[in-house]
Amino acid sequence: MNRVRRGRLTAAVFLLAGTAATVALVLVVLNENINAFHPPERIVNGTAPVGVTIRAGGMVMPGSVSRDAEGLGVSFVLSDFQGSDFPVRFVGILPDLFREGQGILATGQLDASGTFMAHEVLAKHDENYMPPEIADLAAHQSADP
Amino acid sequence: MNIAVAQVRRDFLVAFHARADAVHPVAFFALTVVLFGLGMGPERHAMGALAPGMVWVLALLATMMATEGLFRRDFEDGTLEQLLLHGRPLFVAVLAKLFAHWCVTGLILTALSPLAGLMLQVPPEGLPVLAASLALGTPALTLIGAIAAALTVGLGRGGVLAAVIALPLFVPVLIFGAGASLSAASGASPAGELLMLGALLAAALTLAPFAVGLALRVSQEY
Amino acid sequence: MGRFTTWFYRMGSPRWFFDLSRPWLVGFLVAGIVLLTVGTVWGLGFAPPDYQQGDSYRIIYIHVPSAHLAEALYVAMGVAGIVVLVWRMKLADMFIAVTAPVGMAITGIALLTGAIWGRPTWGAWWVWDARTTSVLVLFFLYVGIMALRQAIPRADQAGRAAAVLAIVGTVNVPIIKYSVDWWLTLHQPASITFTAAPAMPPSMWVPLLVNFLGFYSLVAAFLVAGLRNEVLRREADAQWVRDWVGRS
Repeated sequence: MNRVRRGRLTAAVFLLAGTAATVALVLVVLNENINAFHPPERIVNGTAPVGVTIRAGGMVMPGSVSRDAEGLGVSFVLSDFQGSDFPVRFVGILPDLFREGQGILATGQLDASGTFMAHEVLAKHDENYMPPEIADLAAHQSADP
Repeated sequence: MNIAVAQVRRDFLVAFHARADAVHPVAFFALTVVLFGLGMGPERHAMGALAPGMVWVLALLATMMATEGLFRRDFEDGTLEQLLLHGRPLFVAVLAKLFAHWCVTGLILTALSPLAGLMLQVPPEGLPVLAASLALGTPALTLIGAIAAALTVGLGRGGVLAAVIALPLFVPVLIFGAGASLSAASGASPAGELLMLGALLAAALTLAPFAVGLALRVSQEY
Repeated sequence: MGRFTTWFYRMGSPRWFFDLSRPWLVGFLVAGIVLLTVGTVWGLGFAPPDYQQGDSYRIIYIHVPSAHLAEALYVAMGVAGIVVLVWRMKLADMFIAVTAPVGMAITGIALLTGAIWGRPTWGAWWVWDARTTSVLVLFFLYVGIMALRQAIPRADQAGRAAAVLAIVGTVNVPIIKYSVDWWLTLHQPASITFTAAPAMPPSMWVPLLVNFLGFYSLVAAFLVAGLRNEVLRREADAQWVRDWVGRS
């Protein structure tokens, strides 16, 4: 084999091996939780650390939101609607999209009693948009199947 | 693979004779760590949560400083032209050169990072992960930074320009590097972030040597 | 030679492009202004409000097309970069030179409208999640390409260096595109895809489509105009440019 061909072969083998290693590592990573984000299940079963700033998320449990009579304090329950839920306490202005059933990302610390003391509450909205009339219609349809 | 061995030996020799090139980035790193420690004042004890990120940013800047002039000496004395003309695979020579360079910069920064972490109040349990994340991250930074260094090598004072080009590309490495140290410092498992750093390093190792070769050819042509 | 090959090699001639492109400029400009006016008035004034976000969702009529263009322009620059390095085509080099500032401005619009939208809906002007961060990186990549071009004095060398950087930077584009699927981000996944029905009724997506086409047309008009200027600037010494200036 002449030198040029051997060079090309080296490059091809190198590229192939490198790509394979990268893909393999990425596939392994996809199985890890690297969002530093804790779903309700991890909060409830004690996997999430206490007293450390973390991000937690879940849906706002309908009927759980209670605002303080004075001040901006608000308490609510975040749930995965699959049996795990935990209480959240937040003092501040909630985003417009905050409402029952909405997906929420909260940053804060879990205290010893299992309450999540949030210092930031962000609302995640989905990619579906519809006019109110259609949303009502969809709600009615799912209500009486 | 003689070319790789020869290149590494030659670059170690050059590094030994031009020790200042290796000492300056390390001194920069140590001094900025001290400055941060002093600048924070009496609230130092509250730095724990921020410190891994700070050490990471400082190590990143030191790596950028070191990498920016990586090809300049070779460009000025004509060695680079020989490298491009010798007809053997350029990416092998580039990889060897970057390996030698990382040994005298990134590796030293990695070795110093637990000390820097201690000075900036990183929780002790976060220190091994801080060093591990830098061990995986600094070679990736060197590889990416080398692309910018190669693109700007012909310009008299390309330092700031190389940084403007390279720093955006550093972002993913910084996110997962600092993320790993922060996870460890807060008691969570850093495995995901470290694996992701490994994936970034593998990707940089695979692609960057070719991009550097291409950039060197563009820069050397005139 | 096939028809495309012929066309491709002709595009190598800046003069050929210049002679041909005037009607394109007028066409894109008129189409862009008309479509953007219709789409924006329709989207802001007549499309129904969203059942959750009310009126604030209407910023998608600016945000989505500009964010999409920001990525598409970078991909186009990466392709042009390959053409520069492989075929040494002058026009592709000029395309990178003209696209970088336009792309930077469009990315800026996407970031700005995203921030304005994020404040009421998410509750924050800016979050460091994968989507927003990777778009910010895109913005700086455009800046880097402009800076590199300006720093290298020789035009042809500057062009090839910028081409290398444009190609290297394309690794960021799949990260932007898939960040919302790979990681848990505050940013929602795409509403409009080419493979599935849109996740909104026609009364909402038709004006969005109109604005999409409007943004594309207007940016195409900017790029053609910029390319024509660049051709004149670089070929200023050529006889045909002098003749053209003499005629007009």
